[in-house]
Amino acid sequence: MLTGNWLRYGCHLRGVLAVALLMTAAAAVHGASTTTAPGTNQETNAPHEDGQWTQPGKDYQNTRYSGLDQINTENVKNLKVSWEFSLGVNRGQEAPPIVVGSTMYVVTPYPNYCYALDIDKAIKGENPLKWKYDPKTEAAAQGVACCDHVNRGCFYDDGKIYFNTLDVHTCCVDARTGKEIWKTKLGDINSGESITMAPLVVKGKVLVGNSGGEFGVRGWLTALDQNDGHIVWRAYSTGPDSDCLIGSQFKPFYDWLKGKDLGVKSWPADHWKIGGGTVWGWVTYDPDLDLIYYGTANPGSWNPELRPGDNQWSATIFARDPDTGQAHWAYQVNPHDLYDHDEINENIILDLPVDGKDRKVIIHPGRNGYIYIIDRGTGEVLSATPYIRNTAAKGVDLKTGRLIPNPEKAPQVGKVIRDIEPASPGAKDWQPCAWSPRTKLLYIPHQNLACDYEAVDTGYIAGTPYVGVNETMYAGAEDPAHLGFYDAFDPVAKKIVWRIKEKFLCWSGTCVTAGDVAFYGTMDGYFKAIDARPDQGGKELWKFKVASGIVGQPTTFKGPDGKQYVAILSGVGGWAGALVSGDLDVRDPTGALGFVNAVKELPKYTTKGGVLYVFGLP
Amino acid sequence: MIGGGVVTSLFNSAVLAAISTDNHTALAPTGPQAQHIFNDYKAFYTVCIIVYVLTVAIALIASRRHRQDTDGHKGEAHPPLPPPQLQLDPTREAKMTFWVNVCIAATVLILFGLLFVDFSTARAIHQFSSKPGAVNIVVTGHQWWWEVRYDDEHPQNVFTTANEIHVPTGRPVKIVLQAADVIHSFWVPNLTGKKDMIPNHSTELWFQADKPGIYWGQCAEFCGFEHAKMRLFVIADPPEVFDGWLNAARTPSRPPLEQIQKQGQQVFMLKQCSMCHTIGGTPAGGRVGPDLTHVMNRYTLAAGAIRNTPGQLAGWILDPQVIKPGCRMPQNNLSPHDLQALLEYLRTLQ
Amino acid sequence: MKRLNRFPLAALAIAMPLAVWSCKREERSFRVQPPAADTTDKVIVSKLRAGQMMATTTQRAATEPSGGPIAPPPPGIAPASKPSAGLVHNGYEENAYAVGEGNRLYLAYNCVGCHFHGGGGIGPPLMDDTWIYGSNPEQIFATIVEGRPNGMPSFRGKIVDYQVWQIVAYVRSMSGMLSKDVAPGRDDHMAGAPPPNSMRYQPPQWSTVGTIR
Repeated sequence: MLTGNWLRYGCHLRGVLAVALLMTAAAAVHGASTTTAPGTNQETNAPHEDGQWTQPGKDYQNTRYSGLDQINTENVKNLKVSWEFSLGVNRGQEAPPIVVGSTMYVVTPYPNYCYALDIDKAIKGENPLKWKYDPKTEAAAQGVACCDHVNRGCFYDDGKIYFNTLDVHTCCVDARTGKEIWKTKLGDINSGESITMAPLVVKGKVLVGNSGGEFGVRGWLTALDQNDGHIVWRAYSTGPDSDCLIGSQFKPFYDWLKGKDLGVKSWPADHWKIGGGTVWGWVTYDPDLDLIYYGTANPGSWNPELRPGDNQWSATIFARDPDTGQAHWAYQVNPHDLYDHDEINENIILDLPVDGKDRKVIIHPGRNGYIYIIDRGTGEVLSATPYIRNTAAKGVDLKTGRLIPNPEKAPQVGKVIRDIEPASPGAKDWQPCAWSPRTKLLYIPHQNLACDYEAVDTGYIAGTPYVGVNETMYAGAEDPAHLGFYDAFDPVAKKIVWRIKEKFLCWSGTCVTAGDVAFYGTMDGYFKAIDARPDQGGKELWKFKVASGIVGQPTTFKGPDGKQYVAILSGVGGWAGALVSGDLDVRDPTGALGFVNAVKELPKYTTKGGVLYVFGLP
Repeated sequence: MIGGGVVTSLFNSAVLAAISTDNHTALAPTGPQAQHIFNDYKAFYTVCIIVYVLTVAIALIASRRHRQDTDGHKGEAHPPLPPPQLQLDPTREAKMTFWVNVCIAATVLILFGLLFVDFSTARAIHQFSSKPGAVNIVVTGHQWWWEVRYDDEHPQNVFTTANEIHVPTGRPVKIVLQAADVIHSFWVPNLTGKKDMIPNHSTELWFQADKPGIYWGQCAEFCGFEHAKMRLFVIADPPEVFDGWLNAARTPSRPPLEQIQKQGQQVFMLKQCSMCHTIGGTPAGGRVGPDLTHVMNRYTLAAGAIRNTPGQLAGWILDPQVIKPGCRMPQNNLSPHDLQALLEYLRTLQ
Repeated sequence: MKRLNRFPLAALAIAMPLAVWSCKREERSFRVQPPAADTTDKVIVSKLRAGQMMATTTQRAATEPSGGPIAPPPPGIAPASKPSAGLVHNGYEENAYAVGEGNRLYLAYNCVGCHFHGGGGIGPPLMDDTWIYGSNPEQIFATIVEGRPNGMPSFRGKIVDYQVWQIVAYVRSMSGMLSKDVAPGRDDHMAGAPPPNSMRYQPPQWSTVGTIR
């Protein structure tokens, strides 16, 4: 079984390389001499760097680490704009520019255009547009997107581009021609569903999860066949075990997660049908154990009084078999979530020494304010380190694995509970971290947000929001002048090595290179390069003001000219930037689920936009 | 003293005889809490009657004595009254001071005695609180109906109903009181005293029904237009009957079988009904009005304003503002066929 | 001295009729006919109307003999200078109870889930002066009932007409379009947007064409 998978996997990989070879002569430089085994442990054996960036997380482990080192701490200050491209959509640009050979692929927010850009031509100053694919996303889907109409990127595999649309479809497009190969409808916007996440393609399956935790939808992760787009399996996040694909292989580490049909029993009667637990974040894959890892989102409604119980399997990390979807273990990070602390954040796959022993772990910077290191074979929590001031929880009981909530800050209907930190977007939201095997540090862009929270009664009306909370957010008391933190975290010593503070949130992802440079963007529109080394204190090496605020994911690649480039999308938006991208009114502090209050200065710093920037050394 | 007691008990038995069939009175206690309140009431009543009789008697005697003093002037025209005597008789004055003091002391003692009785009643009632094995119910006052949620340690057993609270006999019941809009007050006199329901502030009330029966309750704090039509029923059943009801109440609604019932469900889901009402097992999840999952098992509609009959229900759906002006249910302009189908569907919600 | 004595009397003489006059209470009618019935032939969501040049010219000639604006709004669309000069008169806009009901329904029917307390989030703000599909009562009514293509769901059949009109009145109060004695004051919840009765009237603007909201 395992061998077979490996063989199939190898085939795909060769396919990737073959296409890359076809498309660019430059690819030959990097050669197909050694196949990049995705399972290669980056600590013992640095992965082969082909200069591409074919999936949002860079690799299946989601390290967002590039082995390119032309741009280094010395010369990064010379970075200049190489070329730009207007995306034609002025909403939050959360997608990473994907680079395969000499072509770059970018997906925009609704209406989810997909562009293929010829890097070679772009560098020469010619028109780079190879093709544009318009999936004709249903306009009404904008009404069920909780937090701007974002899209978190496309995935390249085997000559095809895979991405999702806001109106709950997955598209497969020929990477060369831009012709649609298949398009599958996965859900119904009338039930409040949408999709914003980037798919993950592994072992012939396209893994896609839905969004809509604010609309009382039922969350799922679906595997589609890579070739024809038919649904192979679907694992719901709530409901009976048969729906959640929990069977004989399911062995959770903790006793309180064992039992039949917890996805039904931990809810008031029938509530699991509208219980949320959507899957709109990141999926990672570990070829060693042949498991996928992903987190589920908040339970619906936000008002916790309407859903007594642990609300399984919302805010849970799942390990599943990618072939069948069968769950191997689950760990509920936030039982009976109180504050919309989704746990969809990425689970970066690492091999780390933990208490002197080498362990196979996932590292999960949680929304609830703790960085979890979890044994990825068993689901045991090895450590949970706070990385932000926390008033909402008192810690994590490592014996039972349960979060210890602070009863003083428990939401109540009709009562305004003040100074809850982390606020609903958590200590860190969707914005992905990067891991450098050189510095052995995790680079975490995240936020310093506290909130006032008032639960209010709310009814479920299908297709309309199911939230039941008035919230206003503001900078946490740790530093009221800074909403954004960018941390370098040492997972072995379990401490923050250095921290950069930003006026606005660090809502963009980050990437790190072998040149020991890390890149991220700010919401007021600066693209920054920093010294990634532990002893440099996060020194800012270079910055560039782009047209609109940055909420995207930087990527770096080697161009057909053999030079290293860095790419980022500019265009403020997302939940944090909805004030600007949605023309909201600053006078209502509860607007955009309370985010307006935190970023009310933002309209003075940036306007809407949608431009791709590519930087290179002169 | 003995005469006073006799008068009191006579009065009480007369009143009790008159209302013994009533299920909306504090004078027919059916639980330990209500019994204590009733005892308290009896103590107060007895003491007050005695004091009243004594006071009236002394007043009568006093007036009589005054009349004897002035007997000599009978039949004659009253001479002008002598000027007020400023010089008092010291012995008489000392005697009167003594008796006035005795009366004040007696009053204080009696009041303290009553206070003591009152405190011990409160204490006795309080001792019935926090008992294990209680039925946990959350009652939320709305304008103008009662939301009733049965809590359970197993969340999937939690369910919501309205206006009629089923309880088992002989088991303590804990009611958590809340209000969604304005202050209401929960009062089922046969079972316990009243307690206010305050928005955004939970309070607790315990009672126990010893005898099976239907006990009426009423909102006891003026809460707007339809305060008077905010009734409540506590239905006390033997434990096995209650368990049967509980199991039925926990189940979602059954899917409609007949064609017209299916059409009625469509009307409910696609028209305005589902915006405000919940029916378990369907996508309808509104929380403005009462949960209708098992509405046909309720005796009344609109918090006791009308009986639950098909005709009354139809009238209520079409024009609730005639039955209960100002209530939150809007006038619904349904076609005759839609209404008929809807009624057929609602009939299945048992 | 005498004058001083007369003063309270005079004050009383003024105050009494005032008091009696202010005793006139707003009427609440629970059984109501919708203030305006069918609006299907009246709603227009564009500033442009085909073939209107002659009509507007003649109309201007009839109603505004001298001067007047160069391009008056076409009939059916109220000039954007008076608070409640829509084509359809929404009687609820003069009734505080009805606007209060609109406020309650705005929360109960989850309008608040997208538009929040006027600042917007998933849907556009309602407390500002930008109106994509028009700010007149009949236009807002149509927006709620028909839905709009960029995400506004249709509530046709889901809210009875007179409640929609109540919501319309409340929505218009959020940007200060109703008089202050009718618009709701602050509520018991978390301090959010300024309450409608503190909003200054903002002349409504049509949103820029082509803006995807």
